[in-house]
Amino acid sequence: MIFNKIIFIISFFLAVTIIYPQSIKRQTIEIIKSQFGDNLNIESIKYDIPLKIKNEIEKKTQQHFYSEVVYIFKITRSDSLISTGILDNVYGKSMPITFLVLFDIKGEIISTDIVKYREPYGGGIKIRRWNDQFKGKNPNSKFKVGEDIYSISGATISVRSVTKGIQKLILLFEKIKNKI
Amino acid sequence: MRKFFFFSATLIIIILLTNDILAQDDFFTPKTTIGGYGELHYNNENPEVGSTSKTLDFHRFVLFVSHSWSEKWSFKSEVEIEHNFIKSGQGELEIEQAFLNFQPSENIGFQAGVIVPSIGLINPYHEPPLFFGVERPEYSKYIIPTTWFGNGAAMYGNFNDFTFKLSVMEGLNSDKFSANKGIRGGRQNGFKSDASKFLYSANIDYLGLPGLMFGGSFTYNEAKGNTTENKITLTEFHGKYDANNLIAVFEFGNISYNSGNIENSRGYYFDLGYNLKEVLKSESDIIPFFRYTDYNTAANTISGGIIETQNHFSKWMIGVSVKPIPSIVVKVDYSQRERELESLKTKLFNLGVGYMF
Repeated sequence: MIFNKIIFIISFFLAVTIIYPQSIKRQTIEIIKSQFGDNLNIESIKYDIPLKIKNEIEKKTQQHFYSEVVYIFKITRSDSLISTGILDNVYGKSMPITFLVLFDIKGEIISTDIVKYREPYGGGIKIRRWNDQFKGKNPNSKFKVGEDIYSISGATISVRSVTKGIQKLILLFEKIKNKI
Repeated sequence: MRKFFFFSATLIIIILLTNDILAQDDFFTPKTTIGGYGELHYNNENPEVGSTSKTLDFHRFVLFVSHSWSEKWSFKSEVEIEHNFIKSGQGELEIEQAFLNFQPSENIGFQAGVIVPSIGLINPYHEPPLFFGVERPEYSKYIIPTTWFGNGAAMYGNFNDFTFKLSVMEGLNSDKFSANKGIRGGRQNGFKSDASKFLYSANIDYLGLPGLMFGGSFTYNEAKGNTTENKITLTEFHGKYDANNLIAVFEFGNISYNSGNIENSRGYYFDLGYNLKEVLKSESDIIPFFRYTDYNTAANTISGGIIETQNHFSKWMIGVSVKPIPSIVVKVDYSQRERELESLKTKLFNLGVGYMF
């Protein structure tokens, strides 16, 4: 009888945790709504990064883009642009980490979020307090782990990788914000 | 009951198999990745009694190979050659990790194969740029027998600001416990492991304060060998602060034995370092540090007497880690170790280079 209960609990647990995987896009929109509330118009674009800009940013940050494209979310309310989000991946130790950066119209960071973390170690970077360090950063900020960004023991590779990834996106947004 | 079991098992399998297809997206592609680390050491050991030894040792060469079939199913491995050359009694070739990893959600995952339990700071994360000193701290050799790996399974995860790992793996061989190395000799290292008594380990860490991680673990094993049996518990606490250019590390561990002459092995160390990068306006991390450690593999014994002072060591160390980039480190350290018995002192000077990728 107890055995039955245990099996049922395990089945139920697995079912509720994995049967309805949230798509990356749906999760991203939920994050945007939790940041800005409802009554938003969110338009998503698959954006091809111009090669020249891509090379320039990769050289500066010493990190390659995951691919030639990023996903841009234009967030408007009552026809006014309130924020732009960029969704991208970086590699952790061996798996991609999907993250979102929301910018205000000046190009400063409103928030960053780890949308999907797939590594067995280093999940500490999902913590809100770690992400809150990026609030208000601009393209001239340092983005140096150990200086303006604190590290997380056990998540060293992910911390460095995501920090560079966020810096890449702020530099990208700076260059393309008037063109998108 | 059997019908119910098979119904549940089938349901789980269907969920797992179909879920992978549903979960694929533009943000993931199956991939094989390679990583690794290594370290070259120069060690100069000058004891008060006896002659000075000088060695140059490519201590560790490690390769990681990982493959991810899907977001949820992956394989991870770590193969290590120690001391560069393998011959009977010299050097070591080890598979320190080789496990299937199943991560059904972001908050929980499972591993089976050759696993590394989360015991102490350095056992799970031991790449050279991640710790001070050319050699790993003695604490991580004599109290936590790093690298401690074995055949088994684990469940890991995170909730709110906590991470945890529960491991069940091969036990220890109590015939090979010793007064001068504690439980270190008892590791089976995944070699046709005796599975009659499993080792259970539970670890939890808190990450909710900026730059700070602290936690601990509890390990239990009814260790047995051909001629002895010995229930052991290992309780350890650890913490690390890394922010605002300040790096502070602390670990304390205690092993209790219920049989034999040794009742406890115990030790601790702390590190304090400061990154001078900003002060010196340098491109590289330049981190001078200080360490103090005290450990005794025979801290309490039934017999008492000389065995307790013979295995009691304290040591202070000063050194510098220089990282031109975060994945490469050049280290130098000077230390003095003192054995309590006869206050026997040894001076040590080490130089090293290390990398990880």
